[in-house]
Amino acid sequence: MPMSLMPKPDMPPGALTLLILRVLQSGSLHGYAIAQRIHILSSEVLAVEEGSLYPALQKMLLKGWVSGEWGISETNRKVRFYRLTPAGRKQLQAELSNYDRVTEAIQAVLRTA
Amino acid sequence: MGELFRRLRYLLFHRRFDRELENEMEFHREMAARQGRRNFGNTLRLREQSREAWGWTWIDRLLQDLRYAARILWRSPGFAATAVGVLTLGIGVCVTGFSLLNFLVFRFLPVRDPAALVRLQRDSLEIHTSETPYQSFLFYQAHAKTLSAMFATMGSPAMELDDDLKPVSIDFVTANYFSELGAIAATGRLIDPHRDDSADAVPVVVLNYMFWQQRFSGDPSVIGRVIRLNKKPVTVIGILSNFSATLDGNNTDVYLPIKQQSYFIEGSRALTDVFSGGVGMWGRLARGVTAKSAGEELLALTNDLRKLYPKLIWDKEYIHIDPGGHPAILQPEMLRAFALIAALLLLIFIVACANLGGLMMARSIAREHEISIRIAIGANRKRIFRQLFTESLVLALLGAFSGLTLSYMGLRIISAMNPTPAWVSFAPDWRVLLFVVGIAVMAAIFFGLAPALQIARQRQRKTMVRQILVGAQIAASCVLLIVSSLLVHAVLHMMHADPGFGYEQVIGISPGLDGHGYTPQAAQNYLDTLRGRLLGLPGVKSVALSKISLLGNGYTAYMTEEIGGHPVNIYPNWVDTEFFKTMGIPLLRGRDLRPGETHAVIVSDSLARRLWPGQEALGQKFGDQKDLVVGVAGNARIKALNDGDAVEAYWAMQPSDMASMTLLVKTAGAPDELPPMMKSIAETLDPKLFPYIWLLKSGFREFTKILENTAVGVSVLGMVAVLLAGVGIIGLVAYSVSQRTKEIAIRLALGAKPMHVLTVVLRQFLVPVLAGAVVGAIATAGVSQFLRKILFGISNLDPAGYAGGILVLIAIAAAATLLPARRALRVDPMSALHEE
Repeated sequence: MPMSLMPKPDMPPGALTLLILRVLQSGSLHGYAIAQRIHILSSEVLAVEEGSLYPALQKMLLKGWVSGEWGISETNRKVRFYRLTPAGRKQLQAELSNYDRVTEAIQAVLRTA
Repeated sequence: MGELFRRLRYLLFHRRFDRELENEMEFHREMAARQGRRNFGNTLRLREQSREAWGWTWIDRLLQDLRYAARILWRSPGFAATAVGVLTLGIGVCVTGFSLLNFLVFRFLPVRDPAALVRLQRDSLEIHTSETPYQSFLFYQAHAKTLSAMFATMGSPAMELDDDLKPVSIDFVTANYFSELGAIAATGRLIDPHRDDSADAVPVVVLNYMFWQQRFSGDPSVIGRVIRLNKKPVTVIGILSNFSATLDGNNTDVYLPIKQQSYFIEGSRALTDVFSGGVGMWGRLARGVTAKSAGEELLALTNDLRKLYPKLIWDKEYIHIDPGGHPAILQPEMLRAFALIAALLLLIFIVACANLGGLMMARSIAREHEISIRIAIGANRKRIFRQLFTESLVLALLGAFSGLTLSYMGLRIISAMNPTPAWVSFAPDWRVLLFVVGIAVMAAIFFGLAPALQIARQRQRKTMVRQILVGAQIAASCVLLIVSSLLVHAVLHMMHADPGFGYEQVIGISPGLDGHGYTPQAAQNYLDTLRGRLLGLPGVKSVALSKISLLGNGYTAYMTEEIGGHPVNIYPNWVDTEFFKTMGIPLLRGRDLRPGETHAVIVSDSLARRLWPGQEALGQKFGDQKDLVVGVAGNARIKALNDGDAVEAYWAMQPSDMASMTLLVKTAGAPDELPPMMKSIAETLDPKLFPYIWLLKSGFREFTKILENTAVGVSVLGMVAVLLAGVGIIGLVAYSVSQRTKEIAIRLALGAKPMHVLTVVLRQFLVPVLAGAVVGAIATAGVSQFLRKILFGISNLDPAGYAGGILVLIAIAAAATLLPARRALRVDPMSALHEE
């Protein structure tokens, strides 16, 4: 598998879903905007490639966490916007609290070990 | 739930979903390009990965694999044809076996609501009978609430139709029989509950379609005609349609109303006396009633019946309920026979699979190049394995469905050659199709899994697997050949060995006195007169009486007793003092039975040896009555020719047995001319009677015929197996010779002797062939216990049978190896080495 298709090595597994859910919380966005948002908000540290973004979005569509609707992009092109569903909001809460627990635990180990 | 729904929606609209994704990703690229970023990823690949989330990509891959498999097989038609041919044979025989089982046991008869039909039989812990007294039947019919209807059939000795030589088989049926089965008439009408349910009604008869065709050439004007059955005039009212099934498989020629039974069989008390004769009882479960609750009600009714007939009802008697809507009821004995047949068919299947496995292995070498290229350009092994296995599966399905076609055509031809009712159909139903698909998958696993794994791992040079495959084919063929050789030996033995009794010059006469209401005294008089008249005939040497009818007529009764931990079938008979002389059974020790003597028994030598090994049997006590053993007779398994373990016991006939006795007439010369004379003698004594007269030797021939047919059938299976194995071995040897041409050429060039070269080539086949033969022989010996009952007196470990089977096998295996191996010797060293 070529390197470009892999998620960035510095992104922990599962984190992409969490990030997508989080950036969609404030409103619906199209795929490219999601990638951009994450890139900018992470102070350009995290780059989301097509190769990981779209499989993740398809999986979230399947799970019913997001729904797609057609809108017009800033470049006047018809494109799919993703919106968080109630199930997606619930999932975000669950993943957030889980994430907090794990990071705290990791931090605790790092501090005291 | 929602997820599954979305998944299915995706499958339905996958084209639209795919277009949307493509569009979306294109937009992503445009935007990225504006930002000055370039992405060199493969769009197709990216889209494929995204699609994977929906979990349907396996369908695409499967289609791809199927297309590829079809192309590959199309490109090597020789291989594909051989493989499909081998599988057609191997699977075809199994499908035929299953189709028959399916037809007999699982399929419903084309009758009204067959699922609700039940067969009802008397049962207790100790005794079981399919016959219920007619009066009991009427009692159940009047009181059972869980059954919406009940009906019955009563068999009877065959009857004379007008002046025909060939008697017709008859069945007395209750008047509601045909209406309950939903049967229809081809022409005329059937027996009807409103018109024919009375002893006083005009006697009527319904003809079976096939009988109508044979006897009356399908003449419709026969309706309304008066014919004579056993000299009694009766009106033909209709023909049972060829599309209507009856519960006896349409084996009956004519049907008569049961209420008119005593009109046809004068003096019969079968309908009134609960101790003489009985009917086969059937019922239809009422709506919503289970067999279990019907059983409970019938048990309660049986207990009520006990108050009416205290002597009739057994201890702990109940009514046994079986599903009645199929052509056959799966009894334990039938199950054993089917298991035996299934085991033999499975062996053919194993040979076919092992054979094809060998073929696949050899072919895999040829494909080594292709596979290594595919792996080199990035195909993963799992995918390659899946691809190869798909190929096997396609082959197996092709073979299975052509096997199904072959089997269906075979069954069609067989049923066209024999008289078969039109409703009998072997058209595959869902069970057969499921079986075909299942057996195809099994075949693909058997012959395709190992080669596919080896190729995918690229480790196909191992000869071990090839040797195991050869060994398996040899072992399975060996079992079949030994079994068929045992059966062939049994047939020869049966035809040439002394069966322990004389049958060539004996005629049986069954007057059927009990069926016509004879009292024991009247029967005694009749038998005495008849015996006197028979002895007066020229060429008659002796006349004996036997309660159990022999060879070709009558039922078989036996008691099973536990002797030394093994169940032994003891065949009893009640005879007069002429019996042993007439049947040519030697009295080895002791004395003959005295007329009418009680508490004395003669046992066969085999029974004496089992009961009192190493001791003198004379003077011992035998059975529940502690009868004194007064004599030991030679072994004569007259009632169980096929069962080498059967033993006999004889008691003196008692006055009360008289009405059920059969006469055995020994003649000086050939007996063939005498039966017509005997018939006219019997008719002058009492014209009411229609004695059944037969030659014991024709009964004996029928027995041998069955064995012969079995032997022929198994031999055909054995030959199919060994030929398949032979062809497989030829292929493998030829292949191995062609692989080693260079080596052989060098050896020959260096001066090796031809014999030595041959040994080198064949050595790798010697071990599997020998090991296969040994394993096959041991396996047969291990399971041959089950064959004892059909081996007609030869041992299941009969050395001649084993030697014969193994010799045929070795001969064919040797021919199969030597034939292609000769090529090795004709290798011209110069040209072979130049080729490289």
